[in-house]
Amino acid sequence: MPRVNLSRFLASILAVGGILALYRLVLPVNNTTVALSLLLVVLGVSARWGLAEATVASIVAVLGLNYYFLEPVGTFTIEDPQNWVALIAFLVTAVTASQLSARVRRRAAEAEERRLEIERLYELVQAMMLSGNARRTIREFVQRVVQVFGCEAAAFYYRPGEEFFRSGPESAPVTDHDLLAAAEIDELSVDALRRRATAPVRLGGHPLGAMALVGPLPSDQTLRAIVNLVAITIQKARAIEDASHAEAARQSEVLKSALLDSLAHDIKTPLTSIKAAVTSLLGAAAPADRELLTIINEEADRLNQLAAEVIAMARVEAGKLHLEKFPVTAAELIEAALADLGAVRRGRTINIRLAPGLPRVECDPELVQQVVKQLTENALKYSPEAAPLTISAVRKGEKIVIGVADRGAGIDEDERAHIFDKFFRGRRYRFETKGTGMGLAIAKGIVEAHGEKIWVESEPGQGSAFYFSLPTARRGDS
Amino acid sequence: LSAGKILVVDDDPQIRRVMKATLVGHGYEVVEARTGEDALEKFPQEMPALVLLDMNMPGMDGLETCRHIRSGSDIPVIILSVRNTEKDKVAALDAGADDYVTKPFGIEELLARIRAAMRRSPSSSEGGPHGYSAPDLEVDFETRKVHANGKDVRLTPKEFETLRYLVAHTGRPVTHREILQAVWGPDYGDEPEYLRVFINQLRKKIEANPAKPKYILTEPWVGYRFAG
Repeated sequence: MPRVNLSRFLASILAVGGILALYRLVLPVNNTTVALSLLLVVLGVSARWGLAEATVASIVAVLGLNYYFLEPVGTFTIEDPQNWVALIAFLVTAVTASQLSARVRRRAAEAEERRLEIERLYELVQAMMLSGNARRTIREFVQRVVQVFGCEAAAFYYRPGEEFFRSGPESAPVTDHDLLAAAEIDELSVDALRRRATAPVRLGGHPLGAMALVGPLPSDQTLRAIVNLVAITIQKARAIEDASHAEAARQSEVLKSALLDSLAHDIKTPLTSIKAAVTSLLGAAAPADRELLTIINEEADRLNQLAAEVIAMARVEAGKLHLEKFPVTAAELIEAALADLGAVRRGRTINIRLAPGLPRVECDPELVQQVVKQLTENALKYSPEAAPLTISAVRKGEKIVIGVADRGAGIDEDERAHIFDKFFRGRRYRFETKGTGMGLAIAKGIVEAHGEKIWVESEPGQGSAFYFSLPTARRGDS
Repeated sequence: LSAGKILVVDDDPQIRRVMKATLVGHGYEVVEARTGEDALEKFPQEMPALVLLDMNMPGMDGLETCRHIRSGSDIPVIILSVRNTEKDKVAALDAGADDYVTKPFGIEELLARIRAAMRRSPSSSEGGPHGYSAPDLEVDFETRKVHANGKDVRLTPKEFETLRYLVAHTGRPVTHREILQAVWGPDYGDEPEYLRVFINQLRKKIEANPAKPKYILTEPWVGYRFAG
C-alpha cells in the first residue's frame, strides 16, 4: 500500500503553479507553449512520484491554464470551442502519460522486490548449507529466515526426529498442533491478513515435516521457494549425516575386527609354543612326569578354548558374524560337530534320529556345526555318564528343527529364562563344571544371525532338550 | 643321517625355538626364517625338503610367500595358522600349500602331517601314481583295476579319475574346487554339492563301512583327504 505523502502533492502543485506564474508574470508566450510546459511538469511528477501526484498536478494545471491563459482570462469559462478541444487533449495526454509512466515504475519496483527476495533466499541457503547435520540446519533456518525476510517468528516441525524448532517466543501463535496438521496437508496455506503461513516440507514425496512463518510475509512464490530450499537443504544434511554415520560405523567395525584378530593371534601364539613343547615332552616322558605334563597340555587346550570363545562372543556382539551360507544336510552338520568333539564323547552313547527325506538347510555350516557341538558338549557335561543322548532333526513347515536332548537333571523354570544369557551358569553347576558361560550365548548369537530361533524345553528330573530352527534350502539350490 | 631339512618360517622366536628343538629331536635338520622375505632368500641356498610356513607375518604374509615358493618349486609346504575357518584353509590350499595345521597343535599331529607331505614325492605326482596297495584296497592305475574288501570293483571313468587324484595327493587335504577342476575341467569348481554325492558313491564302492570311511576322509566344508 503506497503511503500518502503530502509534501509530494504540495511540491507537485507548486511546480505547476511556478510554471503558470512564470509565463503569466515574467515571460509572455503563446498558450501552446504554456500547455506543453505544463505537460512536461506533469510527466516529470508521474515519472518521479506516481499516478496520484500526477493526476492532482494535471487537474491543477488544467484549472490554471483555463483561468490564467484561455479567453476570457480570469474566469473558469471558455468561449472558443477550439480551446475546449485543447484543454481536454491536454488533460487526456497528461493522465495517460502519467499512467504509463506509473506502470513502468511499478514494474521496476516489483522487479527490485523480486531481486531482493532472491538475494535473501540465496543468503538463507548459504547460511544453512554449511552444516552437515539436519538438526543444526533446521536450527539455523528458523533463526536466519526471520532475520533475512524480516518476519517476526518461524517454527519448524522435523518429522524424522519428532522435534519442534522455534525462532523464539514470538512463534507461540503457531502451536505444535498447527505444525503437525500442516505436515499432513498438501499445500502452502496463508491466512487472509498475510500474518501467518504454514506449509508441509517434503522432498519427492518423502515427508520431512512442516514449517510456519509469522508475518510480515514475503510473496507466495518466495514462500514456496523457501519451503523447497529448506527441504533440499535438510535432505542434503541428512544424506551427509547418514554417510558419515555409515563411515564411522564401518571404521569402528574394521577396528574391532582388527583388534579381535590381533587378540586371537597374540593369545594363540604363546599357546602354540607351550602346546608344541609339552606334547613333544609327553612323547618321551617318564610315567612320573606324564601326569604333570598332561595337566599342562589340557590347560593349554582350555586356554585356547577360552580365547576362541572370547573372540566368538565379541564377534557375535559386534554383529560381525559373516555368514557364508550354502545348502547342507542336517546329517552333515551333526556328523561334523561330532567329529569336532573328538575325545569328549568317548564312551558315551549318542543316538541320532533323522526324519526320513529331510530337505537340505540353508546356513553357514561352519558356524551351525559349532552350535550343534556346543549343545552336544553341554548335554554330555550336564548328564550322567551312563545316560544316552539324542540328536534329532525333523521338518516343521519351511523349517528344519535340530534338537539335542539329554537325560540329565533338567533345568529349573526360573533358570531357563536366563540360560542363553552371557556368563550365566546354572546354580547347581556353578562351582562344579568347567566352562565360561559363553557357549550358549554364542550359540544363540549364531542362530539369530541366521534369523532363526533357539530354545530349551526341560522337565526337572527328566532331562533337557535344546532346539534350534534353520530354513530349508530353496529348490534349485541343491 | 638327517630325515630331511625343514625350513621353519615364523615371526615368533619362541615358536621357532620349540620347532627347532622338537624337529631336531626327531632327526630333522632345521633352518629358520623370521619373515617371508627372509624365507625366500634362504630357500634357494638351503634347498629344504619341506617348509613350515606361518600364515600371519608382518610384511609378506604366508599365502604370498607360499605362492612365491610355488612359482619355482613343488616341494611340500605346510601352512600353520591361528585361524581355522574354512575360508582360511581353502585360501592356504589354493595358494599351493600341501596342508594346513591350526595353531596351537599337538606335536604328534604336526609330525604326522610332515611325514605324509614328505612321502608324497614331487616326481610321482607329475605322472600320477602307478598304484595303491593296502590289505583291503588295491588300485592299479595302469590297468584301471580296483580290488576292495575282497572283490573286484568297477568304477566309472570319473570315479576312477577322482580316486587317482586323491591318491596322488595322499595325506593332503584337497579342496572341492581342486577335484572338480582336475577331474571335470576348468569350467567346474562351484558345485561341492555335486561332488558330495559323487564321493558318497565312490565310498560305497571302496570303503568297508562307507559311513565311517577309512580312505576317503572328509575335511569338513573344505574338501577331502586320502588317508594312505
